[in-house]
Amino acid sequence: MKTNDKNIMITDIQRFCMHDGPGIRTTVFFKGCPLNCAWCHNPETKNPNAEIMFLAGKCISCGACVSVCPVGAQSLLPNRVFDRKTCIGCGKCVSCCFTGALTISGKNVSAENIIASVKKDLEFYGEEGGLTVSGGEPTFQKEGLLYLLDAAKSENISTCIETCGAFPADLAEKLVNNVDYFLFDIKDTNKQRLKQYTGAALQDILLNLFNIDSMNGKIILRCIIIPNINMNQEHINNLLNIFSKLNNAEYIELLPYHPYGNSKSEQLGRKDTTVFQRPTENEILEFAKALQKSGCIVKCHGSIIK
Amino acid sequence: MKFNTASKIERPIRLCQSTRQFAYDSLMHVYGLDTAKTESVLMDDIVGFEQMSDLEKYDAIIRKIAQTAPIRICDGEMISGAATLGMAIYHKVPAVYKGNCIFESVSHLTVDFETVLRRGINGIRDDVYKSLSRHSETRKVEFLHSCLATIDSFSLWHKRYILSLEKDSKYEKNLQNLLQVPFSPARNFYEAVQSIWFTFAFLRLCGNWPGIGRIDWLLGDYLKKDLADKTLTLDKAREILAHFFIKGCEWIKGGNYESGDAQHYQNIVLSGTDQSGNDITNEVTYLVLDIIEELGISDFPTTIRLSKNTPEKLLRRASEVLRFGGGILAFYNEDLILKSLTEYGYPPQDVWKFANDGCWEVQIPGKTFFRYIPFDCLQILQQKTLDNYSGTAHFENFEELYNKFSQDLTEKVINIYHNISNELFFTDDSKAILQHKPMTPCTAVSIFEEGCIEKGVSYLEGGPVYNIISPHIGGLPDTVNSLYAIKKFVFNEKKQTLSEFLKMLKNNWDGYEIYRRYILNNYSYYGNDNDECDNIAVRILADFAKACRLLDGRCDYAFPAGVSTFGRQLEWMPSRLASAHGHKKGEILAPNYSPTPGSDCNGATAIIRSYCKGDLSKMVTGAALDVKLLLSSVEGDDGLNAIMGLLRGFVALGVYFIQPDIQDKEILKEAQLHPENYQTLSVRVSGWNARFVTLCKEWQDMIINENK
Ligand code: SF4
Ligand code: SF4
Ligand code: SF4
Repeated sequence: MKTNDKNIMITDIQRFCMHDGPGIRTTVFFKGCPLNCAWCHNPETKNPNAEIMFLAGKCISCGACVSVCPVGAQSLLPNRVFDRKTCIGCGKCVSCCFTGALTISGKNVSAENIIASVKKDLEFYGEEGGLTVSGGEPTFQKEGLLYLLDAAKSENISTCIETCGAFPADLAEKLVNNVDYFLFDIKDTNKQRLKQYTGAALQDILLNLFNIDSMNGKIILRCIIIPNINMNQEHINNLLNIFSKLNNAEYIELLPYHPYGNSKSEQLGRKDTTVFQRPTENEILEFAKALQKSGCIVKCHGSIIK
Repeated sequence: MKFNTASKIERPIRLCQSTRQFAYDSLMHVYGLDTAKTESVLMDDIVGFEQMSDLEKYDAIIRKIAQTAPIRICDGEMISGAATLGMAIYHKVPAVYKGNCIFESVSHLTVDFETVLRRGINGIRDDVYKSLSRHSETRKVEFLHSCLATIDSFSLWHKRYILSLEKDSKYEKNLQNLLQVPFSPARNFYEAVQSIWFTFAFLRLCGNWPGIGRIDWLLGDYLKKDLADKTLTLDKAREILAHFFIKGCEWIKGGNYESGDAQHYQNIVLSGTDQSGNDITNEVTYLVLDIIEELGISDFPTTIRLSKNTPEKLLRRASEVLRFGGGILAFYNEDLILKSLTEYGYPPQDVWKFANDGCWEVQIPGKTFFRYIPFDCLQILQQKTLDNYSGTAHFENFEELYNKFSQDLTEKVINIYHNISNELFFTDDSKAILQHKPMTPCTAVSIFEEGCIEKGVSYLEGGPVYNIISPHIGGLPDTVNSLYAIKKFVFNEKKQTLSEFLKMLKNNWDGYEIYRRYILNNYSYYGNDNDECDNIAVRILADFAKACRLLDGRCDYAFPAGVSTFGRQLEWMPSRLASAHGHKKGEILAPNYSPTPGSDCNGATAIIRSYCKGDLSKMVTGAALDVKLLLSSVEGDDGLNAIMGLLRGFVALGVYFIQPDIQDKEILKEAQLHPENYQTLSVRVSGWNARFVTLCKEWQDMIINENK
């Protein structure tokens, strides 16, 4: 590792991603997020530190973890229990769990090693593809992120950032220099609702968005849609208002809500998951059409709506 | 009338209603089942049949087939000719004497359709006469007379079609075409399509399976001329060519059977370069893709020759068609294959012509005898190197183990060579090869293979220009993974001694579930782009190629290496023991040179990189990789771009042959029941990809339902 190399806490590096920006991309999931969305699809990335995940279905009750745990957080009898409150996160149980029932989510990887992984798929990127940083919220590890983006750019690798937009205002300029595409989340356009469900402040997010736009950062707006939350005319009007004021936004990509994160929440021992209603295929298309008719360029299911 | 696709996108409609109906009927078994009524011709009434020589019997059989096989003209067909004898599906010449079948037929070759088109059967007949005037050896003269007899029989069958077509003015065009072809040269596109089909059908009728070869290369100039002369439109040409594909789609029994029930099932090759390196992609290339896209007929699996210079338009069209699923399209990396064939010694005037044998093994069409000999190297490791886990095997370190395995592998290759030499040749006491043994008569294919007529020698006795016998290594990925598991578990981590480890295997892992899980879950196997493991594959490939090369050149047959299983992982399963990489006896392991099911966790690009690390150019007859993609993950324009990127990367990295498959709901259900086998399967989850097996049950159900 170079002396000035940076470590980044990530959950995973996923190769051959087809829907995380243009072309084939390698997506790096950063850990840590300032928001707390009730519908979070990547709950294992919220916490900035490594976490033990337990998938009960894979456990064969061999007892190895029980005997190795220094604080007695793992027990077999009368029931197989993992007591998170007692756990000090030493990871010993994980290394002796042969079945993969216990795993650690989160590892420190140097930016250099991340770049090496990303470069493995150079032949597949073509002119468009490359690295996407996602999470969590990548800006949560600001220094590591900037270092990584810079390293990617010096290797001529295309870069995308998937961001919730909640980051310090002074970061925008630094990002614009090394980011080819901002996949910028607009989760809701109603101030109160956004606060209620995610904890975010709409005006801060919009400030960052327009700031990036003013510096000619290329933008793709990504909008989660959830029935009875934001699938309404008011949201459409607001999105149009935002989209039409941006000079560098190419389109709005709709991300229909799904409860994918819930099984991972369970493995993390979180009991606070909310399940929302999933939009039907018809509702999605209707919303997409309405948004498109209002004057936005809309992408849905991988294609621009015509 | 709906042509199924797992895709949400509707198949486009370009063909006229009657052609679509013809395709639909064909897919719904309207044609083909009739072959069960006449399985074969009966030779019992031929006087003195038993006393005839093999060649005389053969000629009599072909004549009887030509005279009596049922004629089939499908309502509204635009091209005519049909193989109507049911026994042809069993790899036999469909003729019976006193209840017994008489001769085996020939497969794994692509005949010389180019000569049929440019010079006609009459041209071939002239060649036979010329050759007769040069040869006096009895066996050769007899063979050449058999060639004439076969051509006469072909002509008889041809006349019967003409007589039948004359009866209905609806078939006036078919009749006109058949009055010209295939006996005289084709003059236009329509005649050319009819010429190839009629010749193909005759060979099929006689029980053989000839591949088609480079159809766009064969037909492109005819179409170009007709379009320029304005004697044909592109739409009309598509209809004609569609009838070729529809006629090739035929069922024998109409049910589902082990390896399918298709009567013809022969590969077609598209695109690629000519001798000067120019891309030959033409209108015919795109018409074929149109037809596959619209009808989804999979009986002519189609392989596209890709290179760094493949036009963007073709890449896009191929990707679009690929997205409908069904696994009809596959891809050769022309850059690598041209290099491979050249280095192996094929001359430049032939290298560029490469196609396949009707399956995917590469050969020069119309000039090649081809046979492959599959063997299972996993069984070599388990039964020979590790002595059936009996406990006698002892190795100090991994190198010792590997070297013993490599030695056993080489011995196997030598064995194959000696067995095949004994089968084909008379040898003297010192095992030197003397001369070819007489083989089953096969005149019908011999007349369409360059070299046979000239030499006066049949296809099976060394007649063609190139004679290839290729040992094909099977079970390679599982052997690599087994060796890797032993390396890590026994020699590096020293978790157990080799003899303790072999005891677990001998017990089929019973009582050692924890270790089995450890070995399954903790190592990164072939297909994950892990150099440490992939290097074992690199070494085995190199050693195997070397073993073959050392035997090469000792006789007229070349002995190049190849990799495949062709579904033999099923057939081999009962003879395989528990495997060192954590699989119990009875599990179905890896196909071809693809990862062990469930062991690949890093996606398609990692699989491709693992696969490319070995010197595939030394696998002269091919090495196949299967890559599975999920339909929902390639949806939309984004998905299309991803497929194109994958194909480009595949050329850049030096893949040999790739069969991408886009999955559907049934596969997903399977993945839900056996998630361990579908680790790499990624699904589109509204805007991004997630790994299917990481989803909870309800979610999986939802996605399954979305993939209806
Ligand atoms: S070590 Fe793993 S498999 Fe064994 S009891 Fe603990 S969690 Fe279950
Ligand atoms: S991480 Fe350490 S403290 Fe926590 S359960 Fe595992 S062994 Fe015990
Ligand atoms: S911003 Fe993303 S990672 Fe953070 S809580 Fe919301 S959904 Fe989860």
